[in-house]
Amino acid sequence: MKRYLEVYKQCMYSAVQSAAAYRMNFIISSLITLVGNILFPLVTLLIYRAGTSFPGWSLYEVLLIQSVFTMSSGLSSVIFGGVLWTTMSHVREGSFEVVLLKPLNPLFFIVATTFSTDSIGLFLGGVSLFIFSAVHVGTIPALNWLQFAGLFAVGTAVLAGLSLMMAAMSFKWVGNSRISELADSVLHIGKYPLPIFPKAVQAVATMIIPVGMVGFLPASALLGRVHASDYAAVLPCFLFLAVGVWIYRHMIRLYEGVGG
Amino acid sequence: MNRLKHNWLICRTVADVTYKEWSAYRTHSMVSIIVGPVYFMVQYFIWTAVYGDHASLGGIGLPQMIRYFGATALLGYLIMDFADWNLSMLVRTGKFLTFHLRPIHHRSFALFQKIGHRSLGFLFEFLPCLLIFIFIFGVDMRPASFPWTILSVVLAFLMNFYVNYTIGLTSFWLVQSGGIRSAFMLVSGIFSGALIPLDFFPHWLQVLQFFLPFQYMAYLPAMVFTGHYSLGGLELSIQQAVGMQAVAVLVTFGLNELVRRLAMKQFTAVGA
Repeated sequence: MKRYLEVYKQCMYSAVQSAAAYRMNFIISSLITLVGNILFPLVTLLIYRAGTSFPGWSLYEVLLIQSVFTMSSGLSSVIFGGVLWTTMSHVREGSFEVVLLKPLNPLFFIVATTFSTDSIGLFLGGVSLFIFSAVHVGTIPALNWLQFAGLFAVGTAVLAGLSLMMAAMSFKWVGNSRISELADSVLHIGKYPLPIFPKAVQAVATMIIPVGMVGFLPASALLGRVHASDYAAVLPCFLFLAVGVWIYRHMIRLYEGVGG
Repeated sequence: MNRLKHNWLICRTVADVTYKEWSAYRTHSMVSIIVGPVYFMVQYFIWTAVYGDHASLGGIGLPQMIRYFGATALLGYLIMDFADWNLSMLVRTGKFLTFHLRPIHHRSFALFQKIGHRSLGFLFEFLPCLLIFIFIFGVDMRPASFPWTILSVVLAFLMNFYVNYTIGLTSFWLVQSGGIRSAFMLVSGIFSGALIPLDFFPHWLQVLQFFLPFQYMAYLPAMVFTGHYSLGGLELSIQQAVGMQAVAVLVTFGLNELVRRLAMKQFTAVGA
């Protein structure tokens, strides 16, 4: 375990050094991501500015959902964001053997070596928006914070599972740089209050592809809007992550090394 | 005349080769058949919830809003472009030098490539999604005027290309233009009207859009499709709107040429 932590620390250090090689690009990218995520809820702002709303949700409550979503996406991108692109690149070039030859768990190696400094701006953008909206939704009891922390971690696990599934897909769908769009499109549902969607979509978004856990449910916990039954969605999230890990490892076994 | 014929032959050949090259990856394009309808479905439910009892918002009724999002989604497949990324890669690796040795201007080459690439997009993204919007979502996707909509889409295609190419040219100074590219995509995503019609923006921001390239890539052609264009309190006929779009494309082309000439003075062919 100590060895794995040491490797991860070293990989983080390398990622920072690598970003420092193109400082200007890194600074601009981080700033843009930061500003971009502050601007991300612009659609919501404009909708409320036009005098309408998402039924039953105030502006700051919706912003809270979107900020939690952004924080979770940012954290997941920092840790797992590069897995898809690196796996895809190795499979396309037929060089995944380089990973398999390392004296480490291949999945851990890929995760550690793809630590993404680019996404730090995304996380910080989410944090800024989160502080802004949390201040405006009124006092939040300590118990709600505790529930939020738990559900936030579960939401990040969903994103990790999704990243691994997309990366696993790249073993068969060789070189398809648009695989991530599949995940992004589904995740779009998690940026808005789930009750605006039909029941069937809500069921899918909590039990099958639990994107509701990424933004909506943790924010609802903070607002004291979760019911005991909502916690039933936690199990599918862990299952989702487990399936992601299993599929990725299974696809490694199917790797043919021919490129594409 | 001969020169025109010669250029047409080059255009057809480059477009044809690009089409064949990307046909090998046609299933990549077909990702849009899932992604496009999912995004559209989310927009559909968002706006249905937001409209609630309102007959219209920002001067737009719900059916028109749905048509608008259908049009912007489909338009995206017709004008999608990554000339900036491509040019940036050529500069960074030093491969841009090979284009100096060819008897064709790189910008023209990139434009012809885009024509070939988007022809594939037309078949494997635009048409399937159009059919899904019509037959599954039941959206009326008939444009108010066919000829003006087609002309507006062609102009949006050129506008997107020239703007992206200009961004790619910044690589001659920055080597890595990923940051600028992300910045543009971010601002463009907001101000092109692809996320929300520009009518929802504050008045001063709507007026500002006349002087920026963004609305000419999505909002204006989508409004030409719906048959009604107004922005910043200015209501234009479809013909006037397309005329304004043509002027904007010419200005952008001029700026692109200016930046290109400056960029060529920076070129070292070394890469980085």
